[in-house]
Amino acid sequence: MNPLIEAVDLSYTYRAGSGKEVQALNGINLQVNRGEILAITGQNGSGKSTLARHFNGLLTPKAGKVLVEGLSVAEKENIPEIRKIVGMVFQNPDNQLISSIVEEDIAFGPENLGLTPAVIRDRVEYALETLGLQDLRSESPNQLSEGQKQLVAIAGVIAMKPRCIVLDEPTAHLDPRGRRGVLDSILHLNREEGITTVLLTHFMNEAVHCNRMIVMDQGVIKMEGSPGEVFRRREQIISLGLDLPVAAQLARGLRSRGIEVPEDIIQTEEIIDCLCRLK
Amino acid sequence: MELTKNITLGIYLPGETSIHRLDPRTKIIATTLLIILLLFIRSYEAYGVFFIFTAAIIYFAGIPPRFALCGLKPMLPVLILMWVFQLFLYSTPDAEVLFSWFIFTATDTGLHMGNMITLRVLFLFTVTTMLTLTTSIVSLTDGLESLLNPLRKIGLPSQELVMTMVIALRFVLILAEELDKIVKAQMARGVAFDRGNFIQKTRKIFPVFLPLFINAFKRAEELIVAMEARSYSGGKGRTKMKTLHMGRVDLAAGGIMILYAALMVFILFSVSPRI
Repeated sequence: MNPLIEAVDLSYTYRAGSGKEVQALNGINLQVNRGEILAITGQNGSGKSTLARHFNGLLTPKAGKVLVEGLSVAEKENIPEIRKIVGMVFQNPDNQLISSIVEEDIAFGPENLGLTPAVIRDRVEYALETLGLQDLRSESPNQLSEGQKQLVAIAGVIAMKPRCIVLDEPTAHLDPRGRRGVLDSILHLNREEGITTVLLTHFMNEAVHCNRMIVMDQGVIKMEGSPGEVFRRREQIISLGLDLPVAAQLARGLRSRGIEVPEDIIQTEEIIDCLCRLK
Repeated sequence: MELTKNITLGIYLPGETSIHRLDPRTKIIATTLLIILLLFIRSYEAYGVFFIFTAAIIYFAGIPPRFALCGLKPMLPVLILMWVFQLFLYSTPDAEVLFSWFIFTATDTGLHMGNMITLRVLFLFTVTTMLTLTTSIVSLTDGLESLLNPLRKIGLPSQELVMTMVIALRFVLILAEELDKIVKAQMARGVAFDRGNFIQKTRKIFPVFLPLFINAFKRAEELIVAMEARSYSGGKGRTKMKTLHMGRVDLAAGGIMILYAALMVFILFSVSPRI
């Protein structure tokens, strides 16, 4: 089966032709497979947002191509269809909610698709229920916590029934509890609703929950593989300006003191199991 | 949050009265009709009838009378000033002089004109307040969008205009909070906003509004990207989740309004104005 999203030799330059070009992406080859949850990590300015914005046609390639379900994002007439397939959630929830009422905001996307009122109502109910926001339907987003606002933003995208959602650092603005709630919802949508997910994140503890991850630096993919494979290469991770997940750091520390724990531990649950067995 | 608590944009009193339940379009049209009638009133008798009708609406909508009038307080100085201006500056050749002082002369027609105009502003305010007190801002915009829709044919971008209003409403509070943050940040760095003469005070405004505007534009840019990502491409081809329905209540209200308007027109023509 062909991948849902495919980037081939993708390059992108900001301020092209101005003499102050910034090469944000340089020959990216990447596939997003159906049903998977893919983490894209990298320090600020590594090009991950630029890459993500190609996935639903907010940016179009300067060189190479991006295909979504075989449709090229470079063709203008494909864009409406591509935006139905790939939804996008951004970092700051305040700058993506448009209505003063939660359910009206969730209805915004389906309304743009020109659906009938009854279908829009169904979609909104589905989104509210999937994210557990039923009680907040008539609230104003101004009254919600940042985490709740971000859930509303995700609901607004889910209501459009995309096959894939791309989340651009959705937890960067949130406190630990909000981060937990949003991550749980993202994992739920992927596992239970079968929505292919691309998660851009700085937090390695979020990346460990993904099926696959890539690490970007200066517009190039530097590492690719399962989180277990990637985090085994500690020196390279550190040199790319990132860090190991807490569990991996702990496991490493324990090993250096001579305590026998496996090398490929990355999830908190794994290290807990391991320590309990040591007793 | 000190700044945000003072911002009440269209205070809405939620309720379940039949006036609350009216279709927003009915209420907008009725309010417009009342305002047009007001512009033609030139006698106390007509104002009396208008008062009874307005009071009845306030009663049926379950609005505490002090609420209907609370917004008037900040306007009081303006109202008094207007009344005084009319009293001294308006007169007709056959007017009777009431009293005269220095170069100012008050005539009976001036007094009448002052009263009429002050009452007009007072009622204009009450009538529009009644609309916002009984209609949530969201259904107001829905109603407005639906009413403006026919004007699309002559090129008015009604849906886009209403979308702009919806977004503006959402961002009023956010920007107010941001302003508050900037003010506090400047105060923390030693700016005393309450000291100095007028010019000095005015100059202190710039370092507050400049960052506010820059942030607002940044927000706008992000918002556009987010809206585009959710398939927004202007009003064309858009549908709405909530559709408006005119029911029996609206029919009854419409009937009452027509009867009332007819009565008012009759009074306007039969009672000869004094000026």
